Amino acid sequence: MVAKEGNIAAGAPPKPAAGVFAGLGGILLRLPEASIAVVAIAISIIFEVINQNYFSGLVQVLAASTALYGLIAIGEAMLMITGEIDLSAAKVYSTTPFIAYYLTQANMPYGLALVLALVGAGLIGSVNGMLTVLFGVPSLIATLGMLFFLDGVTLSVSHSEPVTTPLAEPFNTFLGRGQQQPIGGAAQYAAFIWLVLFVILLTIVLKRTRFGTYTISVGSNLLAAREIGIRTHRVKIANFVIMSLLAGFAGITESIISGSTDPSAGDNTLTLYGIAAAVIGGTSLFGGSGTLIGAAIGAYVIAALLAGLPLIGAQATESNIILGMAIVGAILLNILLNKLRNQGRS
Amino acid sequence: MSSVPDPFNVAGLQNAPILLRTEHISKSFGAVTALKDVSIQLRKGEVLALVGDNGAGKSTFIKVLCGFHPPDSGTIEWEGKPLHLKSPLDARQHGIETVYQDLALVNDLTVYHNMFLGREKIIRFAGVVPFTDNGGMKRQTRDHLNRLGINLPSVSSLVRQLSGGQRQSIAVARSMQTAPKLLIMDEPLAALGVREGGLVLDLIQNLRRQRETSIILIVHNYNQVFEVCDRINFLHTGEIVLDRSTADTTEEELIRIVKSGLGRSAVAQAIASAGGL
Repeated sequence: MVAKEGNIAAGAPPKPAAGVFAGLGGILLRLPEASIAVVAIAISIIFEVINQNYFSGLVQVLAASTALYGLIAIGEAMLMITGEIDLSAAKVYSTTPFIAYYLTQANMPYGLALVLALVGAGLIGSVNGMLTVLFGVPSLIATLGMLFFLDGVTLSVSHSEPVTTPLAEPFNTFLGRGQQQPIGGAAQYAAFIWLVLFVILLTIVLKRTRFGTYTISVGSNLLAAREIGIRTHRVKIANFVIMSLLAGFAGITESIISGSTDPSAGDNTLTLYGIAAAVIGGTSLFGGSGTLIGAAIGAYVIAALLAGLPLIGAQATESNIILGMAIVGAILLNILLNKLRNQGRS
Repeated sequence: MSSVPDPFNVAGLQNAPILLRTEHISKSFGAVTALKDVSIQLRKGEVLALVGDNGAGKSTFIKVLCGFHPPDSGTIEWEGKPLHLKSPLDARQHGIETVYQDLALVNDLTVYHNMFLGREKIIRFAGVVPFTDNGGMKRQTRDHLNRLGINLPSVSSLVRQLSGGQRQSIAVARSMQTAPKLLIMDEPLAALGVREGGLVLDLIQNLRRQRETSIILIVHNYNQVFEVCDRINFLHTGEIVLDRSTADTTEEELIRIVKSGLGRSAVAQAIASAGGL
């Protein structure tokens, strides 16, 4: 409509120097996942060099723990992109298989019980979300309350005693261990495969759907999202539900893998590993940006440090020293790379 | 008026149908009264400047018009029918587009995502699964920006990488994407230099020449927009205290009135001393 020769871009900042984005360094700068991927590869090589049994001996453990931390981490990543956080994830993780257990006690088929247990997990997430967006309780506090509440409910209902998971096919095979495998046995890759599937699914959701665009919008600029007419409450609540569904799903797979539904299985460090994995994977605590692939790789880094450090001779007590330093170090690296990225841009 | 060239067909405006009429709109936030009995009328294609100090109620009023705030009382009539806006999206679907003062851009999304925010183009994978049509949105954004004479390095840039002028131009371009019936612009010149501001004013003049889109401009200072608007309404502490057509007045006269203070009685006095309306 306006046929003007001038253009508003005249005052635009100069384009970044071509050299800044060239080569390997360029990939590192462009892709938010790249820095954590480099860290993951470096750790793996170091461990393998020091002890040749690292991969061959630990592959199942690594797959199982990466899946566990990863499922929590990608849920936290989605939620953190909206600018919120969930501290109750580990307790949803331990509560969900209990719901399934009690439903089978009431003679419900295991498959249906699992579905309803996940519905329960989703409801927990929606309560977290509604407390946050409808009543203005900060999600940190709302989910902290939920953490203790669920812990109390699960422990009192179960009298703090683990129960035997009501194992049945085909759920055994698809959710954690083969039919022929002994409890705690080898074929623990199912959960890892689920993680990969969820990462792919949610990455597509984030990049190629309305819901994904709105998820980024509410975390990046909540007022703008409202001014545009996005139903911001729904978007946030939905992400709380996704978080809880993933935590509940992780809890179900773990109860099947271990054969035991344990009310104290969901240690709070699990939530913290998930949050740490999301953050070192490049997800911003302030909302608006994040990557699920990064969160999953972050989960591997934590799993690798936890499993690998003892293997190369660290005491369990010493492992946490390294883990703590590694978490902060990875985030420092991210901050540094972000600075470089912004220099390249402006 | 007949002897004066009239490129904007100001004379014909009197016969244009009324697009928007508000009657006695009031809005309070707690104890604070933001709007008192605001009644305005806007014809199709008319450009109205809403002027007033900080806190006069300008932004609140347009947030009522664009569905962000429901009014406490009063009615909105749109194309002759009562209008009850449920949300900003509802307003957009009626053809009311707003360029907010804060621009309402999402820094962590690309230019084309922002351009289509809230009404993304959808393609259905396998006829069922709704994906956003990123390619189509990119293409249309490029075309639309080209038409408006706005050049950007890439429509795939994140908005956070752009300059203030570029951001403003994207917000304006977004509001003009669907040929709105009413375009509301809240302080469209605030963040801009003279050159970039000139482009926005040109854009308004172009729309004014076509007389298809009505425009409400919110400004601090009417002299920035005197040239481009048909009518000026002064808001003061939530009330409209003066409603003047730019054809019947001069900037000097308005300065005199404004300088004498903007209470309703002060305005009446000033008008009386200036020789009546």
